[in-house]
Amino acid sequence: MSAPLIRAALGRALRVALVLWFVVPLVPILLWAFANRWPFPDLLPQQWGLDGVRSGLAAGAPRAFVVSATLGLAVAAIATPAGALAARALDSGRVPLPRLTEAVLFAPLILPAFAVALGLDVLVLRARAPSPVAVVAVLVVAAIPYTTYLMRVAFGAYDSGYEDEARTLGASRATVLIRVQIPLLAPALSGAAFLAFLVGWSDYVVTLLIGGGRVVSVPILVGSFAAGTGNSAVVAALSLAAVVPPLILLIVVARAGRRTGTRT
Amino acid sequence: MSRPPGTPMKSWRSAIWVLPAIVPVVIVLGAGLGSALVQSLGLMPLVGSPVLTLDAYRAQAGDIATSAALSVAIAAAATTIGVIVGVGLALTAVAGRRAALWAGTVTVPVPHLIGAATMGLLLADSGLLARLFGLSEGGWPALVGGRWWIAVVLEFAWKESAFIGLVVVAVLTTRVAAYDETAAMLGASRLARLRLVTFPLIRPAVVASATISFAYTLGSYEVARLLGRAYPEPLPVMAIRLFNSIDLATRPQAAAAAVVTAGLALLAVAGALTVLRRSAVWR
Repeated sequence: MSAPLIRAALGRALRVALVLWFVVPLVPILLWAFANRWPFPDLLPQQWGLDGVRSGLAAGAPRAFVVSATLGLAVAAIATPAGALAARALDSGRVPLPRLTEAVLFAPLILPAFAVALGLDVLVLRARAPSPVAVVAVLVVAAIPYTTYLMRVAFGAYDSGYEDEARTLGASRATVLIRVQIPLLAPALSGAAFLAFLVGWSDYVVTLLIGGGRVVSVPILVGSFAAGTGNSAVVAALSLAAVVPPLILLIVVARAGRRTGTRT
Repeated sequence: MSRPPGTPMKSWRSAIWVLPAIVPVVIVLGAGLGSALVQSLGLMPLVGSPVLTLDAYRAQAGDIATSAALSVAIAAAATTIGVIVGVGLALTAVAGRRAALWAGTVTVPVPHLIGAATMGLLLADSGLLARLFGLSEGGWPALVGGRWWIAVVLEFAWKESAFIGLVVVAVLTTRVAAYDETAAMLGASRLARLRLVTFPLIRPAVVASATISFAYTLGSYEVARLLGRAYPEPLPVMAIRLFNSIDLATRPQAAAAAVVTAGLALLAVAGALTVLRRSAVWR
């Protein structure tokens, strides 16, 4: 074989290996979610079925999904506007101590959430603060670096000429915000909101430590089943149900971003 | 966004718009880590009177050192694999083959807890791979709960490689393509372009995303809890075990392990910033 052919074959093998690296680990939950019986040496389940789904429903999955969705929405609703405002202020270049401000805003990416939650737990107990509020507060802080970063990038590419034009044509500040700014920034805002939602939707350790067993989200439910043995089908069914909604959301957000991106 | 030329006026009025983000960050991080530090020093006991002491650190100095070394080793191994696979992913994606990039994107909304659960079902001695290769329970290596923490490292590397890959792709598509074409027109070979154009330009993005991944892995609990072994334990597992202990006297020790984890994460950032300062294209 000639050198270019060998290189092409190598390249293809590498790409296949990369796809397998990402996809293969997800195969077990796809199979286990619908396996009623799957004894060890068998490559495929002996009996397919929905026992795992049923056990999940019986263990309170619907309520856990409501809790997780609420956490995700609350985090997105607070962290997205907060991050957008901070990004706009930083982009204007008029914030005093910009380096320090950025370092503080990105610190939650580095400092371990479990350590923060572990320290906060005692304070929440002593202050008799409601634990769901404390969980949301910690998760909002965990999401702020993502929303700030995405909006920072968006403002970097944003042309404020449209705003000036609208103002010149007599639009009020509110009209400019609703008719110009938000539509132009919609792809970035939805991306930021998606990541913030994901922080709330998928958190485990903060809910575990501060929620103290009272906030039962989907990951808490998965964690309690995964700690035991013989629960593979339930764990897989709950996991699949936890991954599919954000995956659909991700595709919607990505498409919306591309559509608006080409138009502007 | 376009700005008037010259240095913009700094004003405390513009700082108002940063407050909705910065106030919660300062309060939550300050209160959480401050309280962990104060507890670890014996100043906030659940029972008894406060006494300033390093007992929580001293009583378990050996265990903390072992756990810290283990945590750093797991994070370093996972981040190394994550960088290699992630950069490879970015390079194939920029070459126009995006299937791997899509596959990587699918892992983004998968929480680490669920990643750990599915890795367990894949790699355990009764897992899917053991079934596939037809190995009996004795013949399969101890990937889950074994000596080398392989399943734990692989789970982190799996998610991190997608994260690092996506970050590097963003840089490659915006900045590198033009330089790469220029270098190619000027006759640079594929290897020379990689070494002299692509790698220097993606270096800041790789260092930054690798540092975030490293710090995340260092402070992550659930993956090692599910896929690791009972002893030795990584710092977060140790901290949360002590935190949940019935014996309230172990609370300061839990806080001490948490403080050490935060300190190691900060050290990693300091190291990364030093590396970034030295690279010429930074800024």
